[in-house]
Amino acid sequence: MPPALLTILKFCLLALLYLFLVRVVRAVWFELKPPARVLAAPVGGKSSRRDRPSRGGRAKGDRLRVIEPAAQRGRAYDLADELTVGRAAGCQITLDDTYVSQLHARVFRKEGQLYVEDLGSTNGTYLNRKKVTAPVQLRKGDRLQIGRTVMELGR
Amino acid sequence: MMGALRRNTELGLIILAVVLTAGAYALASLGRTASIPANELPFVGVIAGLLAAAHIATRRLAPDADGMLLPLAALLNGLGYVMIARLDHKLAGLQALWTGLGVAAFIVTLIVVRRARDLERYRYTFALIGIGLLLLPLVPVLGQNINGNRIWIRVGGSNFQPGEIAKIVLVIFFASYFVEKRELMSVATRRVGPVMVPDIKYFGPVALAFVVALGVIFFERDLGSALLFFTVFIVMLWVATARTFYLAIGAVMFAAGALFSYATMNHVHQRVVNWLNPWVHANTSGYQVIQSWYALAAGGLSGTGLSLGSPQRIPAVATDFIFSAIGEELGLLGTTAIIAAFLLMVGAGLRIAARADSPFEKLLAAGLSTIIGVQAFIIIGGNIRLVPLTGVTLPFVSYGGSSLISNYILLALLLRISDSRTTAAATPADETRVG
Repeated sequence: MPPALLTILKFCLLALLYLFLVRVVRAVWFELKPPARVLAAPVGGKSSRRDRPSRGGRAKGDRLRVIEPAAQRGRAYDLADELTVGRAAGCQITLDDTYVSQLHARVFRKEGQLYVEDLGSTNGTYLNRKKVTAPVQLRKGDRLQIGRTVMELGR
Repeated sequence: MMGALRRNTELGLIILAVVLTAGAYALASLGRTASIPANELPFVGVIAGLLAAAHIATRRLAPDADGMLLPLAALLNGLGYVMIARLDHKLAGLQALWTGLGVAAFIVTLIVVRRARDLERYRYTFALIGIGLLLLPLVPVLGQNINGNRIWIRVGGSNFQPGEIAKIVLVIFFASYFVEKRELMSVATRRVGPVMVPDIKYFGPVALAFVVALGVIFFERDLGSALLFFTVFIVMLWVATARTFYLAIGAVMFAAGALFSYATMNHVHQRVVNWLNPWVHANTSGYQVIQSWYALAAGGLSGTGLSLGSPQRIPAVATDFIFSAIGEELGLLGTTAIIAAFLLMVGAGLRIAARADSPFEKLLAAGLSTIIGVQAFIIIGGNIRLVPLTGVTLPFVSYGGSSLISNYILLALLLRISDSRTTAAATPADETRVG
């Protein structure tokens, strides 16, 4: 094997090595410049916690009752003026389910009406089996599905 | 979708790492015998298989985990293996076995540890296990003296360094302990001269860590582990409390401990002498580091080419001086790439720490990243005579079973932490996916 060829191959190897590193740096760059929504999500979660309303502030009796999974049936969540649903411990409704995103959805009250909004979750939020793409009004008897959990709005 | 994006990045980088390793392996053989090695295809098959297993495991078990750590480890492991195979055939076979066990340990860790915060509960169990592992080599019969270090135990037919596992276990303990006590430790209540310092009783653990580190140097003669252990402890204390004061105290204690060891322990004294002027004992105790210098000098900018140098002249080249061997055959460009890979690994680790959900996970990720960074610094610094030589392995690169297995466990823990911190990211998915 002529030494010149070996030298050329050696430089090819070194070039490949640096190509690898450049690819990693590019991936890092991509991570550090995430889409704006990723940055916005935790902020929204925090402010909702801070803005937690006082007890008197909500209309009495609106509750989300768990229908599925069967093991959780009967469990109910009182609705505040705004609450978040997700896997993170900071959410008002924490669902321990791998299909639920850390910060999955938001249920809030506007002018006396309840709305649900998906917060860019991985697997989506469904209201009466229809995917929630924008804030949608919640009515009594509506079924809200988040991950494997189905909840019904009742009084 | 952050998770899928990261997994695809990981897959792409892993493929590149396999190509790099396979190319380096072929080139090492071309340099030696002017032919492609007969086992090139099986070799590529084995590393591709191992990495595919690790990659599929992350896809299944930690789908949103960081996508750079595994490929970086694979690259370092692969290049290290090529160097070891080029230096010593017998060690290469064993290293392949250790790599297999390391990947298995990686997958098992991902399976067993489903949530990093669960580790917090077994705090004192981990403390006991860690100290037990650290002291294990001192047990008669079980412990082995090798090259004047008493850091080995004999299990079955092979030697194992329990201290390698101990460092991870102890970092888990430090993280949970500091998270609990950090408020007490960071509040200054006493005035000493111009500075306010925290209450003296919270220095108990610092003093204990210091004594344990000195004990390891004295009884096991393991300078590198003691240094690593103490540094990681101080860094974690600093990260937990956000008080620079602990760094200062740590530096003072380090200086005092170093001077004390230098004055009283012959093996420490010897290391320092060899560092300051190896030429005095060029044929005896200074021989190793001088050969390392020659190797780096022979390598120059781009190296002699794989298998075309003579790094085997350095004693213990496959374990302690693998960096110099790479320096001789791939030159400054090759070693710079190695250092860049370590920097990127530590950077990924710290990014995981910065984004982690709970304080425990933050501290654990910071501690684990510090281990990799400090350990790489200690041994690379020793190789190039920046600091006195202490025998620790270069993570993922050096030959060594215990080291490789424990580093893969460490990697799995970092991936686990990065997986659990996923926020409601990215765009809604079209298909339903575990996430």
